[in-house]
Amino acid sequence: MATALPTLRRNWLVTMRAYQWTYFVGTLATGILTVGLAYLAFHAIGGGRAGGGFAAAAGTADYLGYVTVGAAASMFSVRMVLWVAKAQITEQREGTLESQVLAPARRLPYLIGVGLQALTTTVVEVVVMLAFAIMIGVRLPAPDPVTLLAAFVAASVAVFGISVPLSAIMISVGEAHITQNTLFVAMGLLCGFTFPPGYLPDPLRWLGEALPITSALRALRAATLEHAPLSAAAPDLLLCLALGLAYLAVGLRLLGPAERIAIQRGGSA
Amino acid sequence: MRAALRVFAAEGLKQHRRIFGSKLVVFSMLLWPVLTLATTYYTVLPVTEAPGAADRWPLVAQPGRLLAFLAAGALAYTFFFSLVQSAWHFSWERVSGTLEAMFLTPASRMALVLANGSSALVQNAWLFGCFGIAAAVATGTLHLAHPGMLAVAALALLVPAVAWGAFLNSLLMFSRDSAFLYTLLDDPLWFIAGVRLPLFALPVWITAIGLAFPLTTSLVVLRGALLDGKDVGDLAGQFAFLAGLSAVLLGLTALLLRVGERHAQRTGSLQLF
Repeated sequence: MATALPTLRRNWLVTMRAYQWTYFVGTLATGILTVGLAYLAFHAIGGGRAGGGFAAAAGTADYLGYVTVGAAASMFSVRMVLWVAKAQITEQREGTLESQVLAPARRLPYLIGVGLQALTTTVVEVVVMLAFAIMIGVRLPAPDPVTLLAAFVAASVAVFGISVPLSAIMISVGEAHITQNTLFVAMGLLCGFTFPPGYLPDPLRWLGEALPITSALRALRAATLEHAPLSAAAPDLLLCLALGLAYLAVGLRLLGPAERIAIQRGGSA
Repeated sequence: MRAALRVFAAEGLKQHRRIFGSKLVVFSMLLWPVLTLATTYYTVLPVTEAPGAADRWPLVAQPGRLLAFLAAGALAYTFFFSLVQSAWHFSWERVSGTLEAMFLTPASRMALVLANGSSALVQNAWLFGCFGIAAAVATGTLHLAHPGMLAVAALALLVPAVAWGAFLNSLLMFSRDSAFLYTLLDDPLWFIAGVRLPLFALPVWITAIGLAFPLTTSLVVLRGALLDGKDVGDLAGQFAFLAGLSAVLLGLTALLLRVGERHAQRTGSLQLF
């Protein structure tokens, strides 16, 4: 707590002073345009309907609802990964990674502080996007509040979990742009944000299952679109939590060696 | 003329060393577009399988043609986006202090901004090649009136793209903030230009805005020439529009460069960051 809360506060100050609108507009545009694309295609090409294969693969016939929940989850995941995974390489670029290593603060609370700040900003962005979706006529049924809350927690653990090994990769190779965007386009294809992963060839589908976001999305959709009780979503929630914690554990193990490599290589990130 | 050619050669060498010679460019120019293309294909697939979809958009009756339609969009978009990227790199000249040095030399300003865009495109020509081969292998998707249309399509992509790149570069004379290029021209560009949807699916006002972006019309020509077997006569209107738009963009570029340089001379802003 002694590390997490001050980090949360510092990152809020940085966002409010330096990057108020850049991040906000960037994240929001991606979500809104994804829903917009689905909306236009649904009406102009599908004539307000999706093919029968979709309902079978997705478990719901509500194409727009499916894409909207996916777009919200996508904004959430991308933003969380960007903040948490890039926290340390940003410290390195700004020249404060050494100070971080010298300070007696532990890494996990520091990253949790970064994650909490990301969570608070992202929730605002997602709410604005959902308001847009409702405005253009997407109807989301009333969710099951307990399942939704559980899915939200599991999804947060999942994205936090995969961000930590990513952070280790970024500081050890001194590169963020290629690493982060490759992960994002892969996630977009594999995790089922905008279409059911059942459409993918089997090897890709299994690759998607290795990312905890895939199971988090199933739980989120069960809560929002199907009003599923907690027991129905439990297998996906447990899978998501287990995978997320496994990534987190591996990531925390890797951070120490990665920091050593980063500092030996010097300040050029 | 010789001086301008030397500017082109130098800019090409610089970009090759800084950006396109690096192996990492395979990610941004090939891997990302291909994965994004697959995502787009699967995202619109449920809608194209809806009953009656083929009446509204005949192309969806064959998944191969739908994929080719989206692939042509991805190709043209990647081409144009590489220009946004080189304009973004151009803004680093200001950060590293070489923008002012470039404007101290007698090199033609127009040659500088044109060279920036066109060398990006020349170095991305392999991408066009990969697409051509992939389309030819997936038999039945490539449908040309005659082989010459391949060159015509390439030209309809290249010339407006260079004009677009020059225009973007001239905008950076005025602004020190290049992040807006990325935020404003990444996602919104594919949306309004009909990269992932046929133009008829877009509302009229979005199509109208889209016409101001050369990518929109370039894409109509590219798809018409490569996928629908149209010849020069069928696409004459689009060619005239593209030529006009390119001329307007180049005119604006010349104007902005002159005004921008005078502004910079007065305020000394070229060395500010």
